Amino acid sequence: MKRPAPATVRWLILAGLLVFWELFPRTGIIPELFMPPLSKVLAVLAKDWREYASELAVTLYEVACAMLIACGAGILAGALVGGVALLRSLLLPVFSSLYAVPLVILYPIFTAWFGIGSESKIIFAGVYGFFPVMLSTAAGIRTIDAQLLLAARSMGATLPQQIARVIIPASIPTVLTGLRLGGALTIIGVVVSEMLISSAGIGYLVTRYRTILDSAHVFGAIVVILLLSILFDTFARAVERRTLVWQTAGRRQKAGEVVQIAGSPAPAPV
Amino acid sequence: MANVSPVLSIVRDEPASAAIEVAGLTHVYDGRDGKVPALTDIAMTVGAGRFVVIVGPSGCGKTSLLMMMAGLRHQTSGTIRIQGRPIDNPDPERVGVVFQEASLFPWLTALDNIEFPLALRHAPKAERAERANQMLNLVGLQGFGARYPHELSGGMKQRVSIARGLVQDPPVLLMDEPFAALDEQTRMTMGHELLRIWSQTAKTVVFVTHSLTEAVYLADEVLVMSARPGRIIGRIAINLPRPRTYEMMATDIFGCLRDRIWQQIRKEG
Repeated sequence: MKRPAPATVRWLILAGLLVFWELFPRTGIIPELFMPPLSKVLAVLAKDWREYASELAVTLYEVACAMLIACGAGILAGALVGGVALLRSLLLPVFSSLYAVPLVILYPIFTAWFGIGSESKIIFAGVYGFFPVMLSTAAGIRTIDAQLLLAARSMGATLPQQIARVIIPASIPTVLTGLRLGGALTIIGVVVSEMLISSAGIGYLVTRYRTILDSAHVFGAIVVILLLSILFDTFARAVERRTLVWQTAGRRQKAGEVVQIAGSPAPAPV
Repeated sequence: MANVSPVLSIVRDEPASAAIEVAGLTHVYDGRDGKVPALTDIAMTVGAGRFVVIVGPSGCGKTSLLMMMAGLRHQTSGTIRIQGRPIDNPDPERVGVVFQEASLFPWLTALDNIEFPLALRHAPKAERAERANQMLNLVGLQGFGARYPHELSGGMKQRVSIARGLVQDPPVLLMDEPFAALDEQTRMTMGHELLRIWSQTAKTVVFVTHSLTEAVYLADEVLVMSARPGRIIGRIAINLPRPRTYEMMATDIFGCLRDRIWQQIRKEG
């Protein structure tokens, strides 16, 4: 028997989970309060989509601002820490340990400083997403093949040319991975801070409906957050794939190119 | 010395026009236990258009010497003159460098890699493409210009690297163990190809290697270096006729020359 493709299996598992979500709550084994059937959640989403949309807009605005902070500051700080030996030895251990601290404990302080509006969420999520961006940028710059820089220098590259033509393109793969992780963390940061202390946003909806035991609306908000995260991750991966075409192009083109080699007048050199 | 055949004679007279002149070169670097002498009193002259190979034990400083000739590293004292002028910084118009790992930029195609030195000095696009294509043909890679480095074999990468080293038409080409990472067969082919390219371009080549066979096969002259601190302890002329052929490797003279280099290295070790 032929094995089904992994992609097919993945979709089947997902479909299975959705069917389970619809049918299991209907068996009565668990109360509907714990988990309403999928159809009820979707119905709630359809009925109250205006409310979800307006809260989502708040969340998206906060996420966008936080990503701007996380990426901008993260890349800048990462470039400095990765590129300057003194800063690296002073700051990298500090930043690395900070990354391991559950920053969410700082959020109450942020609300004291910046209020319970969007500002505190943006700053908290920005800081939260900053670390992976900064650390991977620093790593990307630090792990550049020194031989490439030597080669560029031998060809007469000035320092600005080395930065623009070697250091930046060489560190792009690691930086993009950092942006994907950092971006995902800013989404988490915004939603978590909205759930903790706030008056708007999709995270706030989760908390508000939970306190009034309206589980269909809670799950509705969860579905929206899930979709947001998946959408972001898919987008980020697509950007990575497009940008890093030089890492993968060969594997896709090879078949076509062999023909071209065979047709070329000169024998294929070693 | 009367019974030494002409092929084995020591090089004495320097060619009239020198492409590379190294005099009184000494290099000391700061190691963990203070100053470490790396190169001591190196003097050498390479005539224009000559193919000189430097051999020596690992860590003898042959790569350092080459990097200094390229202007990529600074010696403690002494002078290096390329084409009559001292070299303090990399000068791609005078010196092209080919490294051990091909050191190609993985995000650029073969053609863009070859164009890179021209792009650095903002040469017009048409000129760049024309020069790069000429070089691509010279190294036998026509039709492979659009490939990325990871789509090329080890030998092809070094061909691109040689093309990049020659694209600005420098009179001097420095090569740091360029074929060391290749398998034996590819290495032989590449050596042969390098001689073809050399005979077509009339460059002065300084080539560093561990392989004595490669040294004898390629060189007009082999310089033997001692273990650290590196000194030049022997200069052996390779008067085998050109073009060199694979069959020459089986001859007694070839074996004799290789053995002679080996004796020099062993005596020092």
